[in-house]
Amino acid sequence: MNTATMKDKVVIAISGGVDSSVAALLLKEQGHEVVGITMCLGVAAEEGGRTKCCGPREIEDARRVCQMLEIPHYTMDFSGDLEEHIVKPFVDEYARGRTPNPCVACNRHIKFGTLLDKVTAMGFDFIATGHYARLEKKAGRSILSLSKETRKDQTYFLHAIKRETLDRIRFPLAGLMKEDVRQIARKHRLPVSDKQESQDICFIPDEGYGAFLRSRSIDVKPGEFVDREGEVLGLHRGFPLYTLGQRARLGGWSGDPLYVLGIDARRNRVVVGGKADLMAPGLVADRVNLLVDDLPARAIAKIRYAHRGSACTVSLDGDLLRVVFDEPQEAITPGQYVVLYDDGVVLGGGVIREALN
Amino acid sequence: MKAIYLDYAATTPVDPEVIEAMHPYFRETFGNPSSIHSFGQQARSAVEDAREKVASSLGAKPAEIVFTCGGTESDNFAIKGIAYANRRKGNHIVTTAIEHHAVLEPCHFLEREGFEVTFLPVDSQGLVDPHDVAKAITEKTVLVSVMHANNEIGTLQPIAEIGKITRERGVCFHTDAVQTFGHIPFTVGELNVDLLSLSAHKLYGPKGVGALYVRQGTRLEPHMHGGEQEGKRRASTHNVPGIVGLAKAAELAERLMPGETERITALRNKLIRGLFDRVDRVRLNGHPERRLANNVNISIEYCEGEAMILSLDLMGIACSTGSACSSTSVEPSHVLRAIGLSVEETRGSLRFSLGRYTEDREIDQVLEVLPKIVKRLRAMSPAYRSISAGKGAGG
Repeated sequence: MNTATMKDKVVIAISGGVDSSVAALLLKEQGHEVVGITMCLGVAAEEGGRTKCCGPREIEDARRVCQMLEIPHYTMDFSGDLEEHIVKPFVDEYARGRTPNPCVACNRHIKFGTLLDKVTAMGFDFIATGHYARLEKKAGRSILSLSKETRKDQTYFLHAIKRETLDRIRFPLAGLMKEDVRQIARKHRLPVSDKQESQDICFIPDEGYGAFLRSRSIDVKPGEFVDREGEVLGLHRGFPLYTLGQRARLGGWSGDPLYVLGIDARRNRVVVGGKADLMAPGLVADRVNLLVDDLPARAIAKIRYAHRGSACTVSLDGDLLRVVFDEPQEAITPGQYVVLYDDGVVLGGGVIREALN
Repeated sequence: MKAIYLDYAATTPVDPEVIEAMHPYFRETFGNPSSIHSFGQQARSAVEDAREKVASSLGAKPAEIVFTCGGTESDNFAIKGIAYANRRKGNHIVTTAIEHHAVLEPCHFLEREGFEVTFLPVDSQGLVDPHDVAKAITEKTVLVSVMHANNEIGTLQPIAEIGKITRERGVCFHTDAVQTFGHIPFTVGELNVDLLSLSAHKLYGPKGVGALYVRQGTRLEPHMHGGEQEGKRRASTHNVPGIVGLAKAAELAERLMPGETERITALRNKLIRGLFDRVDRVRLNGHPERRLANNVNISIEYCEGEAMILSLDLMGIACSTGSACSSTSVEPSHVLRAIGLSVEETRGSLRFSLGRYTEDREIDQVLEVLPKIVKRLRAMSPAYRSISAGKGAGG
């Protein structure tokens, strides 16, 4: 085979949005043999509702883009995987009073799990997505690192994918800014160039978390706001509707602003306190996934997607990751992921079990 | 390499002779058959010639043929038309669990309108028991609808036998013959049916045209109101080229049928035998003998139909599966479920449907490619690995 013209067989996971559409276009322009696959997750918006990731409108958009790019397009069903690996664990975590991040799990178990396995079995070399993230080879190993578009960087959501799959992944948008992507879409008249991006969790209906959790037999009913000493301060709407760090609004409260400090699922209680009580010096995480051979002692840790990252000292003890920040951090939330970076390289991460005192 | 089309049950390419027959009716003889002038008269005469041809293929009278826009309309028209025309007589309909959605959905619609529908089960080969039909008919029954051959598994139903029962009981009998018209020889007289749906694009005719046979004396509520076309039963300007194309396709099919049936049956059997020889854990869905000459429906264990169909398509082979992701949901095939397959088994199903342009070497190509795809996909299946390991080599 002539390596100068070597073409890879690549599947682009195409959602019908602008990012994955432009990623498909770039792969095509690079000369690869590209096939578009839209994952059907079985969570289309109800009639009249907003369109979501895999509604009929989105699939139609994805198909249209592939037709314009003259690449084959298919939809594949992942509704069973979504239920088993994402929705059910999500509901279970909520029932325990934790705040999970299903997009991280979806990338690990579905996009770069089941879908990658399937396309590998079908004979494809790579899977590509429209994520803002970068993969590079260092000493023969694939390294996941920040994309050029740092504001939209999605490595936080990608840190949990299995390390051995990195060799089979491509992120064509690694070196582009979001505005570049929109411009490419406009230049090539892709019908998705001006679409709004969706930040919603795909399987949560328009009616919101409460309705969703109730439909999954989670009891969302009023309970008590208490302070750290257990004194009742007021009534809340149901513990699953609260997240650590969020402002708690109590009827008739005239003191300093109160924030959610903790959730006691068993007693349907939400613990509140002052902003200072939200601060913690560090955390312990489990279900750790490493993307490098060894963790350095010092790193930057992000404790949620929107977190800018803070310097810390890390240590790994078996499956437990211990993170001690240089400065105390606000609202370290059990169930969310802590992701470690070193000079832009994603080291790995884990699920926050608890904040240190 | 030329792509191999093995999805003739979905649709067929239009025969060049059909195109030729249709051609003059786009520009030369373009008149509206309802017009009085010579342009209209010429078009009218083409429609009536076509009606005679279609009627003769069915052993029917020309006045018993209503042209429609296809199989779905014919089914809707028959079911709703009979139900509404007989509302005073009764509100019960008998059909089967394996009908095409074009029959099932009008039935579900009528349920919401206050009708009661009995969906008869089928056996593991997809056959309806005529005794079940007899037992299901009540004083309130106004219609029995059983498809002639199933579009997914190809099973041929005992229509004539069921028709005898409905005649004795004085109940209207409809059959969806979309998969059989032009493919197996029959007359409406032999089948004892009162209504029969057919569609042109399944027999190398154009899309967008079909017909409903309505036995003389059968009362049917019109569903398209407007002009006086089709004896006021179906308003709408005639699709003249389409109707001409349907008649030509029927004529060709009749002529070619004997030789084609034999040729295609041989190819079908070769494909079935070849797959059983080369792939383990395969089952043939549907009846082994009482099936359409062109239908191969198989389930391959530990292999998802979706991945197989996609891999086949990328290798230039087009077929279909019983469980494909439509735009919003993945419903496992109701037909495969009705013959007793588990949801898991329906996922591993493939349908190949052969046709007029299928060649021997194309079957060879499928037999060459599919086993390799199955092997590759199964290598990823932990369940298959443990089973084949347990059985030892060659299992």
